Order: sequence, then C-alpha cells, then structure tokens
Amino acid sequence: MRRAWLAALAAFALFACERDDATLELALNWKPEPEFGGIFEAERLGAFEKRGLSVERTGGPGAPVVQMVTAKQVTFGIASADEVVLARDRGSDVVAVFATYQTCPQGLMTHVARGIDTLAALLAAPGTLAVEPGLPYVKFLEQRYGFGALRVVPYTYSITPFLRDPSFTQQVFVTAEPIAARRAGAEPKVFLVADSGYDPYTAVVITHGDTLRSDAARVARFVEALREGWASYLADPAPANARMGPLNPEMDAEAFRLAAEAQRPLIEVANGAVGSMTEERWAELAEQLTALGLVKEAQPPERYFANPESLRAAGAPHGRDGSRRR
Amino acid sequence: MNRAALARIAPPLLTFVVGTALAEVVIRILDVSPLLLPRPSAVWTAATSEAGVLLASLAATGGAVLLGLLLSSTIGVAAAVALAASPWVQRAFYPYAIFFQIVPIVAIAPLLVIWFGYGPRAVVAAAAVVSVFPVIANTLAGLLSVDPNLADLFRLHGATRVATLWKLRLPWALPQLLTGLRIAAGLAVIGAIVGEFVGGGGLGIVVLAAMRQQRTDLVFAAIGYASLLGLALFGAVGLASRLALRHWHASEAKR
Repeated sequence: MRRAWLAALAAFALFACERDDATLELALNWKPEPEFGGIFEAERLGAFEKRGLSVERTGGPGAPVVQMVTAKQVTFGIASADEVVLARDRGSDVVAVFATYQTCPQGLMTHVARGIDTLAALLAAPGTLAVEPGLPYVKFLEQRYGFGALRVVPYTYSITPFLRDPSFTQQVFVTAEPIAARRAGAEPKVFLVADSGYDPYTAVVITHGDTLRSDAARVARFVEALREGWASYLADPAPANARMGPLNPEMDAEAFRLAAEAQRPLIEVANGAVGSMTEERWAELAEQLTALGLVKEAQPPERYFANPESLRAAGAPHGRDGSRRR
Repeated sequence: MNRAALARIAPPLLTFVVGTALAEVVIRILDVSPLLLPRPSAVWTAATSEAGVLLASLAATGGAVLLGLLLSSTIGVAAAVALAASPWVQRAFYPYAIFFQIVPIVAIAPLLVIWFGYGPRAVVAAAAVVSVFPVIANTLAGLLSVDPNLADLFRLHGATRVATLWKLRLPWALPQLLTGLRIAAGLAVIGAIVGEFVGGGGLGIVVLAAMRQQRTDLVFAAIGYASLLGLALFGAVGLASRLALRHWHASEAKR
C-alpha cells in the first residue's frame, strides 16, 4: 500500500505545484556564471519588465530542470539540446526556444606536457578519464574513437585529481575548469567535443509544449528580452558579471572576465541572431542519439524547438497537432 | 511449501502485489510523465531487459558492501571493547565516535577517493565509514549492561580480564552486537552506492548514468536491486543471530 500512497502523494505534489502564471520562473542548472550572463544582463536592463514580464530565477546546481519544466513547476529552464531529445523520447513535451551556445562548450582537458594533439590520440593514450557517468557525448566519443587503455572514472566537479595526476583527462566546460586549472598553476590542453562531430546546442532555454501553444506571444517576448540581454552582455559583460559575482563566491571577478571572453565565440552567430536554431542541427543530433541507442526514435526536428521568429506571430501554432506546416 | 513458510511469505508478497498494482493504476489514471514517476510495469521491464548490467553491478556493489561490513564490524567491536575498558577512555573517545554517525558521506566521499584512489577501495571505505557507528554503539551498550552479579561471580573466581571479556562480556553483548550489525547492513549499502558515485563501479554508476540519460525506469530498477541486496543482508544477519542465539537467548528461543 505504501508505494501506492507515495505514488499518489508524489503525483499530487507535482500537480499541486503547478503555479499560476503571473510570474515566469526560470530554472538555472548551475550557479550564476557567464553562461547565464545574458539573463542577468536582461534583468539589469529591465528587458523583461519593459515587455510586461515578471521573471524569477530559481534552480541551481543539481536542479532537475527538465523534470521541473515537464511538471510545469517552472515556465522556463536551462538544459542542453541532448537533454531535450532524451526527454521528448521519454514522453516529456519540452521544447527549446533559445540556444545560448551555438557551439557546445563541453571539452576534455589534459596536460600540455603529454604532447597530445588530437582527440583520437588523447583517447587512445593510457591514463584516467573523469566524466559524469552516462553523458551522451562520452558514449559518442567511445563509439567513435574507442577508449583503448583509458580508465574511466566519475567526475566529481573538483579539479584536484587533475592537478595531482599528470596522465589525467577530465570533462570540462571550456569556460570554467581550464581557467581554474591554469590559475592553479597547471598547463591544461583542451579538446572541444564539438570537433568530434557531436555538437548539441547548450545552455538552451526550454519550456513546456503546452505553454508554447497557449502562450506563444509571451514566450516570444521572453526570448526577445533574452536576446536584448545577450546582445548587451556580449558587448560588455562587466556590469552583469558584477551582479553575478556576489551570488557565486567560488568565481572571482577575474574568473568571470576570462569565462565571458572564452565563451564569446561559442555564442556569437555570423548573421547576428543570437539564440536561434536550425532544423538541420536538431535532426543531426536526434540521429546521433538514435544511433547511440539512447533514443528509440528520432522525432521530426521541428518538434524539438521553436525559433523566436516563428513565435512572434502571436499564438503561432506549433508542435503536436502538426499545424506548423510550411 | 508448508503452512508456516507460507504464513511468513504471504503478507509481504501481498503488500508488494497490491502496492505495485495500485501504483500502476494511479500513475496511469493521473497520466504522470514517465520522466517524473515511472510505472511499476516500466520499472519491471527495465529490471528484466537490463538484468545483465544490473546483476553485474549488483555483484560489484554487494562485494564492496560485504567487505565494508567486515571492516566496520571488526573495527566497531574492537572500538567498543576499548571504550568499555574504563569510564575514562569512554569519556575521552566516545564523543568522537559520534562523528561516524553524523558524517555526511556525500561530502567526504570525494575525499575518500583522493585518499584511496578511484575504484573499489574508496567504495569499501565509504561503506565501512557509514556502518561503523551502530556496531560501536550497540556493542558498547551490550558490554556495559553485563549483569553485575555475574561480573561479581567472575571476579570471585579470580577470572582475568581477558577471560571475563571472552566468556562473559562478549557473549552478553552478542544480541546487541547483532542488532547493531542489522542496522549497519542497510547503511553499508547506502555508503557503498554513494561511494560508487565518486569512486566508480556498481549500482551507483548505473543510477547516475540512468539519471543523466533520463531513464527514470532504470533508476528505480537499480534501486530495486539495491533493496534486494539490503534484504538479503538483513536476512543473513537475522539467520546468523538465530544460529548464534537460539540455544540460550530469549530473543531467538523457540517461539
């Protein structure tokens, strides 16, 4: 009986938590850092209020953002594109509406002294590789290059093992750990995972399909505010960094500055439309995840995302009913 | 199957069947996303279709748990005997044993990896650290509750301290020691899985990977296997205490 009661309680709790929508909650998946610079800059500029939106940040490291959005506990959340594809495959109706990183900032970091120049050589060399278990890109790399003589261990969000072991390789966000390692006196060599051909949009803003269908105009205004924030942050990250600094004491002002600098080429788009996405890249990602066996079946790419352009016409139909025809 | 065995197995089995059936129905009716709460049938499918990986991981975790328990029971009993030696020793050291009761294993597990390296050693250490306190506390309580008349009798006959320990205090403490071990067994499973989160291997990694890949069904299936491990250990300690105590102690005498 107890199980059933718990199940009922859990289900009830999830439904009871559906908030009324005066305020838009945005769940972050990490501490305030330049990855979210545009969000804080939009707040600083009053870009949300200007559009009649009231936005409240929530979440943080370890927050189950995709689940929170699925349960409509929050309106928006930050996830990565592969999480969107996985969640939709598991029956969740989350949709991406803004992609911060056009190039995935995930990478593998080892020591310069090893003299390794390519990802393939890195993964073939004996040593230790610390990665979060189950990461799709790790599976991709293993399938593509093989893990030869590597010992794979869990990553524990500390660079101490890396600093202590000269044959150590670990996962990184190129905007975070390499900077910390360099400042700790190491000489890190970083390989972008994107160079292997696996390049999901990252720090993607997601929302629930229902919200997108019922409230497209508001979602569009939210995304426009984000764009305004990001354009301003890319021009000058200092003011927003100063706002984020006190919220993330682990990073000092210099770390913020360096991270904002490192991420700029990953965010900027040639034709200026920060955050927009293409069907080709979603289709490619879905195919890759299907080939890895992580997803049963790739969905039509337009199910995974909605660009602000397509939302701007208020109430633009989208998704399930297939009415978003071109 | 005889009547007695049936009477033993039927109630928990019935609870399980009715409980999972109810959960299945409620989850279906409320149409909860599998991402938030998987249906028992989906968990069962994951538990059977991924049985190969899950069983291999269970074996790894189980081995670490057993080693961890071996360590914690040895260290725990030794520590309890030392603490029981004199009230002064007890006052000086017992408060620090409490450290092991409240230690936030999640916080120190990464340190265990730095001390012992990645792999089973850190996992065994994590299992031992979280399971040592109940052994110390229960054994100590047993050692200290020896009937004073019997202690007087031993003294009267000029028994040495060692003889008193072996022939009176430890046997007297045995029922409580075994109770401590029963508590320790469940904790050791938790400790090992948390240890695996950072040290690698076993069910801990299956859980982490499944969470990362949003396989909630597999997460629950792995937890199910871990519960089986806990149940098996609980049963094993229960059997041990029955065998050890049935001829002389009220708690396991024929009922």
